[in-house]
Amino acid sequence: MGVMSHSVGGEGHRDPSMTAVAPNGDPVLAARLTVPAVPGTFVRRQRLVEQLIEGARTPLTLVNGPAGAGKTLLVADWIAACEPGDVAWLTVEPEDSAPGVFWAYVLHAFRHHGIALPESIGSPARPGEVDHSLLARLAAWLNGRDSRVVLVLDEFDRVAGCAEVADGLQFVLRHAGAGLRLVVISRTEPLLPLYRYRAAGELVDIRADDLAFRAEETAALVDRHGLPLSAEAARVLTERTGGWAAGLRLCTLAAQRAGDPESFLKEFEPGHSTVADFLLGEVLRAHPAETQDLLLRTSILEETHPDLANALTGRDDAEPILEELQRANAFVEPIGHSWYRLHPLFAEILRVHLGVRHPGLEPELHRTAARWLIRAGLLDEALPHAADAGDWELAAAEFIDRLAIGRLLTGLAAERLDGLFARMAPEVSGPAPDLVRAARELAHHDVDRGVAYLRRAEENLPGGDGGDAAAVRLSCAVLRVLAARVAGSADMAESAARAVAQEERSLPADRLEQSPELTALMLTDLGSAQLWAGRFDAARSTLSDAVRAAQGPATALPRHEALSRLALIDFLDGRPGRAESHARDAIAEAEHSGLPVSDRTGVAQLVLAAVAIDRDDLTAARDHLDRAAATSAASRDPIVAVELAILRSRLLSARGDSRAALRALDDMARRPLVSAEPSPWVSDRIAMAMAAALLADGDPRAAVKVFEEQPAHGPESLVAEARARAAAGESEEALRILDALPDHSSRGPVIDMWVLLTRAQAVDALGDSAAAESLLLKALAAARPHHLRRPFLEAGPWVRRLLLHRPVLAREHAWLTGALSRPPLDARPWEDSPSPRPEPLSARERDVLERLAQLMSTEEIAADLHLSVNTVKTHLKSIYRKLAATRRGEAVRRARELGLL
Amino acid sequence: MLYEIRIDGQMSNELTTAFPELDSFVVPRQTLLYGQVNDEAHLYGLLIRFQSLGLHVVEFRQLPE
Repeated sequence: MGVMSHSVGGEGHRDPSMTAVAPNGDPVLAARLTVPAVPGTFVRRQRLVEQLIEGARTPLTLVNGPAGAGKTLLVADWIAACEPGDVAWLTVEPEDSAPGVFWAYVLHAFRHHGIALPESIGSPARPGEVDHSLLARLAAWLNGRDSRVVLVLDEFDRVAGCAEVADGLQFVLRHAGAGLRLVVISRTEPLLPLYRYRAAGELVDIRADDLAFRAEETAALVDRHGLPLSAEAARVLTERTGGWAAGLRLCTLAAQRAGDPESFLKEFEPGHSTVADFLLGEVLRAHPAETQDLLLRTSILEETHPDLANALTGRDDAEPILEELQRANAFVEPIGHSWYRLHPLFAEILRVHLGVRHPGLEPELHRTAARWLIRAGLLDEALPHAADAGDWELAAAEFIDRLAIGRLLTGLAAERLDGLFARMAPEVSGPAPDLVRAARELAHHDVDRGVAYLRRAEENLPGGDGGDAAAVRLSCAVLRVLAARVAGSADMAESAARAVAQEERSLPADRLEQSPELTALMLTDLGSAQLWAGRFDAARSTLSDAVRAAQGPATALPRHEALSRLALIDFLDGRPGRAESHARDAIAEAEHSGLPVSDRTGVAQLVLAAVAIDRDDLTAARDHLDRAAATSAASRDPIVAVELAILRSRLLSARGDSRAALRALDDMARRPLVSAEPSPWVSDRIAMAMAAALLADGDPRAAVKVFEEQPAHGPESLVAEARARAAAGESEEALRILDALPDHSSRGPVIDMWVLLTRAQAVDALGDSAAAESLLLKALAAARPHHLRRPFLEAGPWVRRLLLHRPVLAREHAWLTGALSRPPLDARPWEDSPSPRPEPLSARERDVLERLAQLMSTEEIAADLHLSVNTVKTHLKSIYRKLAATRRGEAVRRARELGLL
Repeated sequence: MLYEIRIDGQMSNELTTAFPELDSFVVPRQTLLYGQVNDEAHLYGLLIRFQSLGLHVVEFRQLPE
């Protein structure tokens, strides 16, 4: 995932071979997506090819065997020889055990191999959990294609311990139907329900015994290396190596170097499992000292490049040596663009030999590799080596210098980088290490410790005009904006944002463009701080800029958050249409990027809930509130915590349980807000909600008292005070408040509607029903485009009286009168459905229903529950009957409405 | 927890340095490694290390202290 620079190697010359070849221009990544080349010495074994062909007819093929058993080449050769249609290859890395990273690479692999996934499937933006909707879209698309895709996952054992990755694969495999064939190459069994696949005949297993060479195959292999072998010698050799491919390969190489190959092979007799160790020593010794030295030193790398190998050996002969090794088919394989990969088994053993021959050299080699990779622009590859060298100053300095600090806070690399820098020793000092520490703590929501590191970094900020110093100061200012947001201080955030802008001017534009997430994060944090402080215009403009930041996984989270907050501003301005559209955009962004629900802000769902309550669509409101409550922001973000309580209370009021509504607000008021500085509009919102609940409870005096104790700031809460006073019989005072309202042109239709409605109520109470009627008419006109029913339902009996006695009006506003004439709901908690409770479902029917909701087919349900398909069908029929449904979708929906799921 | 691990074949002296926490000696056709294994994580880590070096574990057993 590195960022390419243009100069490679110490001399700064351009290397044309290192041009962009992968989605993000990283040649090392491209190697992970490439089907490995099959060497000329490879022996095709028809019996295994046939197993693979058989496997392509079933959903899952497992190629399981120890290191060096020849798993990878077997599958690569099958692909080259049989061309089984669309193939996507991914060599799995340990960091892919984060499901988000894993799926991002799987999608990369599809696209890299020319499989045109539609944009609408999206791409994960967070390393951790991936939202199942993304996997469902992928599976559905694969299922709908005319032809199948073969997905090969090589070295799957590297993520074998990760149940989430296996669950996701299982999910996609089940739902992609015939559209996906999975080939898993692994040293260990994957955590898939293999017994189930086996029982259903949906799995082809190729295991160590199958992979082992038979005597005649050994003879063919040795023959390919130009060493004719008698049948008897081949049998003995096969027996002694256990048919182990790596052992045979090394044995052949050693024999080639021996004076008398035939007798070498005859006399060769170590125990077969240590064969690699023994033979590697033999083969190594047969090579010139320079070659041995190069192999030992480059064993610390997974992939090497001639220039990098030269840096590690201090010589300049790497290119011919690597070419020679490749020709001899020993140890290394080319992966394209001048890069080579060491066979992982041999690299592992060579590393052990390196430690013995050159004790203490390893950290030095890591440091050299890190510096070379940094010069080559491969920061992501360089950081682990800097860490292994213990050179944290280098790692932190480069990380900051590349403006990568935001990647600890958002994007796919966040977890990996967090884990990497977690190893940083506490005594490492300087502004760059402290900024990295601050970002880690802030990402973990430990604000106090984050700010402490930030302060220490600020005390040691470098001066000067250099780009390095500017990058440190810029990173510091960005984190300062984030800290200011958490502290609820718009002033601090704005002053830090000015510092960001100033430092940005001293950095070249292309460097800034490499880190779009930095700007997106900063703007989102700034806008959020401005929103908290009630600076709505500034916040709107800042957040709109954040939304315009470059699209991509790294900016998905800030964009989702910025859109959510824009929705909230629209709602507070009284513009439900725009609020809804921004909220839906925010949710779409999160869905598209597979952001797990717990990572979302919840604000968008709150806005949708608030609009739904105003429309008197209480079922939808409750659904949105539940979704908002499921986010982790509910416990962290004071806006989410407050709005959640307010909207719950409004929902309870709407259902007629005003006592519970008041209790919900009391509970919230007792909990202190986390933010240091109070927010004027948030306290207004709390007061308004309290007054509304008291009015609904029939206590207008208490509602008035709320505003006497806490004077209102904004127009909406002033109107709410007027409403409380009108209800308490203080109509003149109410009108005086309304008259004094500042005439605000940017006021949205909802606030206008409230002003008109409250005025109508006041003049009606004063006996002027003609004027009241005309005001009500205007209020209805303002409410109509958005179908805002709830205000009229809550306004009191006078609205119903006026409306229902004017049939023309009632007809014209049919959208409202239906709701008005409905008998008020009783206080039954959470039940909308007026229909009688259905006949209860049996336990088995519930089992079936749950699986139905997971989109399992009848056959899958039968297999999962160990029932026959006919039994499941019987259960389905009786479920449909009891739920009065005719189709699956309808049954699931009804069951959800009835709370059965 | 004291463990004894039997590996198929004779490991070279170089290779045994990959397991500095274990003592080893060679018996006919096998290598014996023994020593303290701290916990399950260590145990599974050892198995992975054996596998990545191409070693075949014949026996893995806990010894009485």
